[in-house]
Amino acid sequence: MEQQTSKTAKILFGMIDLVIVFIFLFPFLWMLSVSLQTEQEITTIPLTLIPKVPQWKNYVEAFASAPFLLYLRNSVLVILGVVVIQLLVMVPAAYTFAKMQFAGKNLCFGLVMIAFMTPAQLTFYPIYHMMSKAGLMNTLWPQILPFMTNAFGIFLLRQYFMQIPDELLESARLDNAGALKVMGKIMLPMSKPALTSVVLFSFVGHWNDYFWPLIITSSTQVRPLTIGVAMLKNTEGAASWHYIMAGNVMLILPVLILYLFFSKYIVSSFTYSGIK
Amino acid sequence: MAEIEFRNVSKSFGTYNVIEHLDVTIPDGSFTVLVGPSGCGKTTLLRMIAGIGPQSDGQILIDGKDMTNVAPGQRDVAMVFQNYAIYPTMSVYGNIEFGLKNNKVPKEERKKRIREVAEKVGLTDYLDRSPSTLSGGQRQRVALARAMSKNPKVFLMDEPLSNLDAKLRSAMRVELIELHRKLKTTFVYVTHDQVEAMSMADTIILMDHGEIQQIGSPEEIYRNPANLFVAQFIGSPAMNIVKKEDCTIGFRPEAVCLTKEPTSAALSMQGTISTREMLGRETNYSIRDAQGNTYMVTSPTDDWRPQQQVYLNVEHASLYVFGKDGKRLPEMEGATV
Amino acid sequence: MKKVYPYLFIFPAMTGIVVFVLYPMVKLITQSFYKVNPMNEANSKFIGIENYTKMFQTAAFKKALVNTGYYALFSVILIMVIALVLAVWLSGKQDRFHSFIQGSVFLPHVISMVSIGLIFQQMMDPDFGIFNQVLTALHLPACTWLRSSSTAVGSIIFTNVWKSVGYYTLILLAAIQGIPTSIYEAASLDNAGKLCTFFRITLPMISPQIFFTLIVLTIGSFKIFDMIFIMTGGGPNNASTSLVFYIYSKVFQEFDIGKAAAAGVVLMVLVGIMTVFYFVGLSKKVHYQ
Repeated sequence: MEQQTSKTAKILFGMIDLVIVFIFLFPFLWMLSVSLQTEQEITTIPLTLIPKVPQWKNYVEAFASAPFLLYLRNSVLVILGVVVIQLLVMVPAAYTFAKMQFAGKNLCFGLVMIAFMTPAQLTFYPIYHMMSKAGLMNTLWPQILPFMTNAFGIFLLRQYFMQIPDELLESARLDNAGALKVMGKIMLPMSKPALTSVVLFSFVGHWNDYFWPLIITSSTQVRPLTIGVAMLKNTEGAASWHYIMAGNVMLILPVLILYLFFSKYIVSSFTYSGIK
Repeated sequence: MAEIEFRNVSKSFGTYNVIEHLDVTIPDGSFTVLVGPSGCGKTTLLRMIAGIGPQSDGQILIDGKDMTNVAPGQRDVAMVFQNYAIYPTMSVYGNIEFGLKNNKVPKEERKKRIREVAEKVGLTDYLDRSPSTLSGGQRQRVALARAMSKNPKVFLMDEPLSNLDAKLRSAMRVELIELHRKLKTTFVYVTHDQVEAMSMADTIILMDHGEIQQIGSPEEIYRNPANLFVAQFIGSPAMNIVKKEDCTIGFRPEAVCLTKEPTSAALSMQGTISTREMLGRETNYSIRDAQGNTYMVTSPTDDWRPQQQVYLNVEHASLYVFGKDGKRLPEMEGATV
Repeated sequence: MKKVYPYLFIFPAMTGIVVFVLYPMVKLITQSFYKVNPMNEANSKFIGIENYTKMFQTAAFKKALVNTGYYALFSVILIMVIALVLAVWLSGKQDRFHSFIQGSVFLPHVISMVSIGLIFQQMMDPDFGIFNQVLTALHLPACTWLRSSSTAVGSIIFTNVWKSVGYYTLILLAAIQGIPTSIYEAASLDNAGKLCTFFRITLPMISPQIFFTLIVLTIGSFKIFDMIFIMTGGGPNNASTSLVFYIYSKVFQEFDIGKAAAAGVVLMVLVGIMTVFYFVGLSKKVHYQ
């Protein structure tokens, strides 16, 4: 396979690589550029690639045009709630499915797999109805509770737990450790990579989620950031793309930072969710 | 210190019965080795004592007390696993401390005991290390130290030396024997390696297909095997077998005297030397007879060469006779060969 | 006592599944046979399969169904082909620059549909969008993109492909890198050419992953909604609608819960068929190893 590649071929390959990177990064750079342009620049042909004077005030104005602090708070609270509840629900379940024998195990795990494959687009109306009947529509709970069982997380953690040798758990039992201690002191510390993946997956998923908050929230009080940014388009005029993109940068930034630091975990969790 | 007693114990996995109606007593303070081919039920027996794979039926008594409803952690037993089962996220110190902490041993006492066992197994300098930085032999010592720190009534070991290289294995064998002499606790040791069993045990329990074939000291089992299976399992090279119509005759490789001419020994038969393994202190020959059967012979001399015609001669006292069911027959009948 | 532990441990998880997955699904199926009164469910009327028969006659539903088929078909083909090419291109190179390329290719997948929908909508603006300016500069005819019913679906598929292709690239890339190099070495000793190696070795070796990618991709395409809602609002003139978009508008614009449920059942059947394929394939795959 090792062949002497000529210099021109090397340069050509390098250029193709750069084109690939350009295709996938350009839209984000373009967003950044537009967010710093004046309304004049956006609507003038030829278009401006790099704004003459960066209009940082676009960010201030976009931020002031809607209660973004409130949206941000809602997003953060929803994600915190989801992640904490999911962990509490998921860890014992994954442990049980991985390491315990009981009647009805296959049936129960089958239900987990069904939940894994069922899209929110199917279940939203009955849940919407349930939540409004329970009088929770003005709280953040309708965005948290329906996600209490993270079927994908249970699946992934179970796979991970199954790889932990039984001898280790037997040894712990001989060391007089109960089920909770085995989970807390042995399984969890050993599963940090899997837990990190699951938590990041939940974080990114819920930070980005649009469909669920769209159908389940009806008041400004409980809306998350995605809805807030999408609504910039409706409130502002057609030519206000500089504000919209400024809002968009604010929406993307946290995920981007997370991605820079944890790309390994994020990529592996997402790839895992697709296959196996 | 404790005696372990199995009373009418059965164990099944689903519909598959591994052990049925077993009665056996492991003497107090003994170094008992459970040995047998893989799948013979020896590990199952060990796990029943520990309580991590409880019996399906019957009782197991430690020190006269029924253990059926006693949790593994409260049986006062310690176990060394084949893969050591070291907790990878805890330091060496943490590994040893975990069980003591769970058993509510006070902090000062814990410190003292950990220092002591670490000293004994030579881990003092490694207490703060993470297990992933240790070698196989060191991990094995951690597992041992962890078991020792609990001052258990019974030490259970499941093939603890099988993951070590040959040199380290024989060194650890000696160390375990010495440890047993010092502690005088009951040791129950599982292995599939008959050499390990012979060299370490004071009592061997030889098992096959979930049944005990023979219990006895290494000498007894070697010199006086109860049946064909025991005779062939113990000893290396294995015992030679001559099939007769109504019985089977066995003799050990070292009992054979090789000669050029036939002799008047109880057994004397002709064969051709097919291979020769010179081991230094002794030489192993494999010899094929006219019917194509192969016999192993261990000889202190290395005079014979492949393709040579020889006679195998075995004295009457060195012949073992087994019935059709494999059971050992009284010596007398061996004379008619 | 010990026997209760497993049930205790899975209880919260199973509760979540029963309340938020099973119950809603059962509810969805029952409601599809009722004329539902959204104000007072007790006043709902059983009407048999009328929701279905009526729904299948409306142009809006047919359009939604056909469009969903288009989205799924073209997204799947384009993403599959491009992801395969990219994966092969990126395989075999493992330095920092290439992990940067992989990171860039994957990036759109972790960014929200909202953000990407907005960015592409801006870039696709027929008057002031950069896409048309580039086309003009290259002396190509400008495109109407999302503004016209003939190009809206294509534009959304284009955006969807750009967003998702990196994800599938990395899945296939991982599969390709999982093939033992000794097989390639054996092939080169057997004097196999590059194309031959790809079709006879690489492709068959990663066929399980390709299969799963296809299924996951198809299920994902059936659920397409966010992008449409943000970029076109289903328009122009209902041209870019989809099944989920149809369900959404039935519930929140026409309050016709019964028909929405019926459309939901159709979606459920579609997803269900693909899921069965998925698990049949999974059991086969387990069987291989």
